[in-house]
Amino acid sequence: MRVSKGALLVGIVLLVPFVIELRTALSWFGIEITVVESALVGLALAVAITAWALWPPNEDGEAADRS
Amino acid sequence: MRNAYVDQFPAEARVVKSAFWSSFLALAIGGIFGLVQALHRTDVLRFIDSTDYYTVLTAHGVLLAITFTIFFLVGIFTWAVTTSLDRGVVDIRFTWSWYVMMVTGTVLVAVAIFSGFLEEPPSILGSELYADVLFTFYSPLQAHPIFYIGLVLFVVGTWLAGFDWFRTWWAWRDENADERIPLPTFMVLTTTLFWYICTLGVALSILAFLLPWSLGIVDSVNPLLTRTLFWYFGHAVVYFWLMPTYVMWYIMLPKLSGGKLFSDPLARVVFVLFLLLSTPLGIHHQYLDPGIAEGYKFIAMTNTMFLLLPSLLTAFTVVASMEHGARQRGGEGYLGWLTALPWRDPVFTGMALAGLMFAAAGFSGMINAGMNINYLVHNTWWVVGHFHLTVGTAVALTFMAAAYWFIPQVTGKELWSRSVALGQVLLWFVGMTFMSNAMHRSGLFGMPRRTAEPQYQNFDFEPAVGTVAEMDAQVALGAVLLVVSLVLFLLNMVLTSFNGTSDSIPDNTYAGTLSGPEDAPEILDNLKLWTAIAVVLVIFAYTLPLASIVESGGLFGPGIDGRQLSLGADLEPALETLREVVA
Ligand code: HEM
Ligand SMILES: [Cu+2]
Repeated sequence: MRVSKGALLVGIVLLVPFVIELRTALSWFGIEITVVESALVGLALAVAITAWALWPPNEDGEAADRS
Repeated sequence: MRNAYVDQFPAEARVVKSAFWSSFLALAIGGIFGLVQALHRTDVLRFIDSTDYYTVLTAHGVLLAITFTIFFLVGIFTWAVTTSLDRGVVDIRFTWSWYVMMVTGTVLVAVAIFSGFLEEPPSILGSELYADVLFTFYSPLQAHPIFYIGLVLFVVGTWLAGFDWFRTWWAWRDENADERIPLPTFMVLTTTLFWYICTLGVALSILAFLLPWSLGIVDSVNPLLTRTLFWYFGHAVVYFWLMPTYVMWYIMLPKLSGGKLFSDPLARVVFVLFLLLSTPLGIHHQYLDPGIAEGYKFIAMTNTMFLLLPSLLTAFTVVASMEHGARQRGGEGYLGWLTALPWRDPVFTGMALAGLMFAAAGFSGMINAGMNINYLVHNTWWVVGHFHLTVGTAVALTFMAAAYWFIPQVTGKELWSRSVALGQVLLWFVGMTFMSNAMHRSGLFGMPRRTAEPQYQNFDFEPAVGTVAEMDAQVALGAVLLVVSLVLFLLNMVLTSFNGTSDSIPDNTYAGTLSGPEDAPEILDNLKLWTAIAVVLVIFAYTLPLASIVESGGLFGPGIDGRQLSLGADLEPALETLREVVA
């Protein structure tokens, strides 16, 4: 793991405000998305972060898991 | 050997523990009412009659904004003073007496509020129990005298608590003449000082006007006067909640991150600035009140903007300290150090997320503070969204996170579950993001606050993006998550108290400093000087507005003969000129 489990969890939680505001922000540029679409974007981002965090960059990637 | 707070100060630990539990009880009841309100207003689920809405809302506001916060902070402050001075309070019986006084006050207030749920409330002192007046108790809303008496007892209890902290410090000073005031005690004392200054306003409002009026001794009051006196106190009270939060961020977060506080002098400067500026800006809550000249509002706005400074200083110092801690733990890179912070620790994570939400609250707060743009959001749900980020999260979440550290300290029992605690703080953050975001956005299209039924006939709100129904759903979802989080918190506290005592409680310590008190100019510790300046600023900011309010509306309302304040003949023209200059 690149980051500790705690950090990963916090990372995902921190996505929430960005995803929620995404709709408002995009509408400013004339792009309108629905609630479901923004939820899907959020899910995709969460999966991406998780994949990034779990993918060991090198052999000693474990070392990051401290708390 | 174990060296927790309860081992060092067993007697004080009992008072602190009682104060914490009083605050948790208020949090539990108030929080559930929050859910009732959110579901009711959004018409998702209605348990109560709309006519009972203000009983619920009064209880929610008072129990959370006053009871929960202040009980918790007197606990923290007592801990901070005794721990940092390394001595107990002077007389523990005195300490218990202010605690009991605060409890008595709370019970009276609660009885008055909760009688609002009764079909036929009993009559006491010749009038029916009643207090659906919201936590701001603006006249002409009138509560039963017991409500006001309870508030007074509660506030006097906090005054005595402040005296307790001062005399403990005086006793310490006698033995340590040449030493600097330890930082946590310094923070407590400066906060107590502005608390004295600001509560004088609300005490005057209650004792001289509202209480006599509700007892029938006087016939009327001047609503603008009592309202202004309320806000004279009402803004500073937000700093009364916020300062213990800052104490936690300054002296706990750096330690939890594995490092030291970046700068003790800067922390002292911040607290001095709050002492100076907390009170002379209450009029920024009254931008829309007729009867107060624009000039005074402008002064309040200027002072408010100045107060951004200590908050920005705090953001800098706290983040710098966290970075220092993270680097001690092996963190590297421009931002890479962030991953080295102890994110699995609920105490750390809760406080860090609370701090982050406070930054967001700072942005919406600047909008509130701007005189012209305030007109857009005044009395809308935007404001409610704003203060659920400040007191409802920056303060409440920090306190809950702190409780995970403090309860083991004052009981000697290990926390029931750290994982549940971590989940709890994360859930609060997510729930509040949903609720507060939708509240803010609703406010932008004019959704009013403080009403059971915000949907009007023949009128549709026009959100910029999405629909009203979507925003209502978002509020309801957020509120549910918040209450689940709250239940997890309380469960953890209750189950912790059923745990046996443990030997593995960490020592009672707080963060060291990179730059210590020796780097802070002596003058920063001159509390008399800062208090004097604070009083002068208050006099500058409030004398003229109060004089003109009394002059135009009378002390006890317009047209109440014989009670009008008559200014001396020679004062009148001077006042007139001054008013022209300001207005
Ligand atoms: C359990 C989570 C909470 C929920 C679901 C919640 C919900 C609400 C709602 C929906 C309102 C607006 C009512 C209206 O405008 O008609 C409100 C008002 C308020 N809330 Fe909360 N709240 C929560 C937690 C808190 C906390 C922790 C605090 C403070 C520590 C707090 C302080 C207040 C205050 C001061 C008001 C204003 C009352 C008034 O207008 O008189 N709330 N809350
Ligand atoms: Cu304010």
